[in-house]
Amino acid sequence: MVRNKLSASFRDPSGFLFSIDGALYRQINKKYQEDYDLFLKSGLYEKLVSDGLLIRHEEVDLKYAQTQEAYKIIRPEKIPFISYPYEWCFSQLKNAALTTLKIQRIALEHGMSLKDASAFNIQFVQGKPILIDTLSFAKFDERPWVAYRQFCQHFLAPLSLMSYVDISFNKLLQLYIDGVPLDLASRLLPIRTRFKPPLLMHIHLHAASQKRYADKGLKKEITRKFSMRSFLGLVGSLDGAIKNLKWQPKGTEWADYYAGNLNYLPASLRHKANLVDEFLEILKPKNVWDLGANTGFFSRIASDKGIKTISFDIDPAAVEINYKTTVERKERNLLPLLIDLTNPSPAIGWENKERNSFLNRGPTDTALALALVHHLAISNNLPLAELAEFFSHICNHLIIEFVPKEDSQVQRLLSSREDIFASYTKENFEKEFKNFFTVKKASEIKNSKRVLYLMVNKRRL
Amino acid sequence: MKFLQNKDFAAVSILTLIFFVVFTKEAYAYLDPGTGSYILQLLVAGALGGLFAIKTFWRQLVSFLTNLFSKKKRVRIRKKKNGQK
Repeated sequence: MVRNKLSASFRDPSGFLFSIDGALYRQINKKYQEDYDLFLKSGLYEKLVSDGLLIRHEEVDLKYAQTQEAYKIIRPEKIPFISYPYEWCFSQLKNAALTTLKIQRIALEHGMSLKDASAFNIQFVQGKPILIDTLSFAKFDERPWVAYRQFCQHFLAPLSLMSYVDISFNKLLQLYIDGVPLDLASRLLPIRTRFKPPLLMHIHLHAASQKRYADKGLKKEITRKFSMRSFLGLVGSLDGAIKNLKWQPKGTEWADYYAGNLNYLPASLRHKANLVDEFLEILKPKNVWDLGANTGFFSRIASDKGIKTISFDIDPAAVEINYKTTVERKERNLLPLLIDLTNPSPAIGWENKERNSFLNRGPTDTALALALVHHLAISNNLPLAELAEFFSHICNHLIIEFVPKEDSQVQRLLSSREDIFASYTKENFEKEFKNFFTVKKASEIKNSKRVLYLMVNKRRL
Repeated sequence: MKFLQNKDFAAVSILTLIFFVVFTKEAYAYLDPGTGSYILQLLVAGALGGLFAIKTFWRQLVSFLTNLFSKKKRVRIRKKKNGQK
């Protein structure tokens, strides 16, 4: 039996996650007994689960207990892929924030309140944001919201920065694991945000108040109560603040890529789509990662077959458009995420173990790499041998497109630089990839010089 | 008396908030950012609670009026139908 305490869950004294032979369990400590019982008895658990806002769990035998403090052991439903807020687009983070507030409202109706409001506690499952930390609730005690600061740091501050300053500010959540410090957000936001009452209160005054009382502490216990009405007012005010934040993708690198592109006459696009479809039918993969997915056109060929698919792209606008499409179409099998393949998410946090790296969250059954290789090889100077090895680490099967030098897209990449890529040929591409993969199929895409390959990893991951 | 206390508290709150905006001193925010978050909530509690009460009242008023008019409409429609019979 392999037992592992999970390193992301050591902060909460109420309990922790562990795995036995790959199955995930959560120990609930005796310290949390009262709150856990209220959580069930008040009907809060049932309500949140039936509304699809909280992960479902079942109680299992206490024999799985890891320590003496165990009160209950539960087994939560497994989440297919853990993603992090710094990999989400604007609307994903916004919807995660609104979901957190919705949960808080329902909790208050049941006499409880969230004691954590971490963005890392939200995951996208079947297209919807849900809370995965069952131990986040405590009895409402007529005090201010303990998770108020965390909510502002994890959601309001990054969303305001993304909306008012620059969309790439979601990456600050990678630098600051407990959210964007409010004094930093306050300094970076434009002056006009001080005239928006919710942002003035929850970011600027909040930061100032933190500074003012940082070295003081509470001298005597404050007995003044924080009424339910004030609490609901606070949640309502945060809700309004989040809803008012907007971001529209425009003038993006890729968002209108398919529209005015000569290499992509509809016929070749259709042929490529048919080939992808055909290859997927041969493989029948359990899951798919579409790398460089743009707005998810080819990802949907997989996800519409009911295959769990993740669309990775470097462009926040493409991911935003892709996510909004999943919401519109109520898609359950597609998760769009923001990843720069040349610098993917690292492992971060305490001992570099709290959040997993991109590669550690693999491998996937099948990877799609369509119109991607020329970007990595030519724009980023990555040798084909390196690329072949990279793909051999992340997938068992690979559907990959080779775009030759004559292609207008490659010519465009070469137009402003010296051609130092003598080895960028179809022959070399096949030679390097055959070191790691067996080529099962290779088909030329109509009306182009491009080739689509179906490859199988020589060593099973 | 209690009312007076509340009024005092509101005045102090507003003055403190103004103080924050005008004088922001150098930070020890990383020492303990929790206290400031706690106190800010207490300072704005009254305003938030008031805002919530107004919103709730407004919503109730709107739904009361819409109900009233739609009820009148329903009655009118029913009368019409009955008349037809």
